[in-house]
Amino acid sequence: MEYAIEVKGLRKTYVSGWFRKRRKEALRGVDLTVPRGALWGLLGPNGAGKTTLLSVISNLLIPEAGEVRVLGIDLRTNGRELCTRINLSSGHANFLWSLNVRENLEYYGMLYGLVGKARQVKVDGLLDLFDLREAAKTRFDELSTGTKQKLSLAKALINDPELLLLDEPTVGLDPDVARRIREFIIRLHRERGTTILVTTHNMREAETLCEEVAFIKDGTIRACGRPEQLKRDLRLADTILITFHGTLPAPSLEGMEGVYGLQADNSSCRILVDDHRERLPQILDLFSNQKIAIHDLRIQESDLEDVFIAFAR
Amino acid sequence: MRTSSSPLLVELTKTKAFIYKNWIMTKRNVFTLFEILFWPLVGFLSVGLLTEFAALPREMRAFILVGIVSMSAVQVCQLDVSYVLLYDVWSKALKHGFIAPVGIRHLLLGSSVVGAARGGIVFFLLMVASYRLFQFDFTVPGAGALTLFILGLFLCATTVGALVCILVLTFGNRAEVAAWSLVSLMLLVCGIYYPVSILPNWGTALAALIPLTYFLEYFRHFYGFSPIFSHVLLKGYALVFIYLVLEVYLMRAALNRAKRTGLLLKLSE
Repeated sequence: MEYAIEVKGLRKTYVSGWFRKRRKEALRGVDLTVPRGALWGLLGPNGAGKTTLLSVISNLLIPEAGEVRVLGIDLRTNGRELCTRINLSSGHANFLWSLNVRENLEYYGMLYGLVGKARQVKVDGLLDLFDLREAAKTRFDELSTGTKQKLSLAKALINDPELLLLDEPTVGLDPDVARRIREFIIRLHRERGTTILVTTHNMREAETLCEEVAFIKDGTIRACGRPEQLKRDLRLADTILITFHGTLPAPSLEGMEGVYGLQADNSSCRILVDDHRERLPQILDLFSNQKIAIHDLRIQESDLEDVFIAFAR
Repeated sequence: MRTSSSPLLVELTKTKAFIYKNWIMTKRNVFTLFEILFWPLVGFLSVGLLTEFAALPREMRAFILVGIVSMSAVQVCQLDVSYVLLYDVWSKALKHGFIAPVGIRHLLLGSSVVGAARGGIVFFLLMVASYRLFQFDFTVPGAGALTLFILGLFLCATTVGALVCILVLTFGNRAEVAAWSLVSLMLLVCGIYYPVSILPNWGTALAALIPLTYFLEYFRHFYGFSPIFSHVLLKGYALVFIYLVLEVYLMRAALNRAKRTGLLLKLSE
């Protein structure tokens, strides 16, 4: 498999102070591989090392140990080659305050060496893509938070990057704008095949966006995989709550594959299962065979947030 | 970015990016207009009127006016070179600039073009004011000498601005104060208001390390002041080019250090 990002044994310690040195280990031997064309999530609590890892991958931070290859380029020797092929967008977007939306895009277009007409076409295309036409002549310091974020994403596409790094792209946005940004990220990934690595605190967002996620805590990757796989690995349960009339076949239920636990009284039971979609039909069959009448049925689904909490503990 | 444009055109476009940024920031911020029109004029008039009050001989007045006009132009020009980094620091957008495929050369060249334009406006305005108000003519040495002198001033300013950028990339935003103080320090030793010959030996030795000293001596010799150093124009240009090359390397080193310490990210937060 071809990888967009290959990180091995990555270590980064921040040292501050000129006389009395203070050290903070941000990354403690990170190993991570992200396939080309993937949409990956990097999750973790505050201070876990997400932004540090993203900054190393984007060559804005030099680690003291470890190997980092991005799009096949070894950052220790050829970091500058990478600049033209990646880009970064951060939450809490910041750009030159006196430049308007179009001018900011023009400026970054020039920095990436886009010349004359090609730059105009690119900037116009991005203004259309992000619905920024109306705000094109508005200065950055007069933009709403949502529009600033759209500009940040537009800027990140100015060089058609093969790898796009998104650091909390929807932080601080209202739900409607956040949804539209998420939809755009998915579309970008589908239509252009861009490899995207996104950090987020928002577990629902990670579940919506990402094919696979990596959990980072205290500077190490604790787990990687598809969200449903991680739930299974952690034995995180979905809960099926049933109110019934009859005699519950408790031993049969407990012996059923994928059932983690059962709590029951005379008229209700709480069944913990690995995946309710897979187990519910068998449970309903069992109730039906035993001629037990179901009065009420509720499902509490475990989500990535439970996985996050399990790892963050 | 896959681009089919010629490498030279791409180089020019990247340099133009910094001209574009500094120019728009200059146009839209009142403090930059004050830097061109208000402070230089106030300083020039104060010093000029002081020379009237002190009833200084004509050649002494010439000495001082050359000093104040040159310093004002250098100050404005070097600010633009400093601003190329400081604008990004103040807007917390530094990382977006340094993730792009641009070099130190684009940054210094682009910003010094705008600096020279702004410094040129200041020099021209004060040159006219000198003639009108104090009957001092800057064109006496001729167009060639004046051009060499002004070019020397702007190159000096670029070295000062580059030094500010290096300090900011090394020490963070607390070093931005250097943008306003370095030129004032030069005022002490370069012979802006008095000849460097009156300085103690260590002061003269220090002045000999600063290119501005030589350019001032060069221009003033047309008004009857004998230089205390030899080959002033040659030494001035040689020093300024050595410093520029050195500063490009130092700035690269400072940028790498900022990437190692995390300062680059801190300046973007």
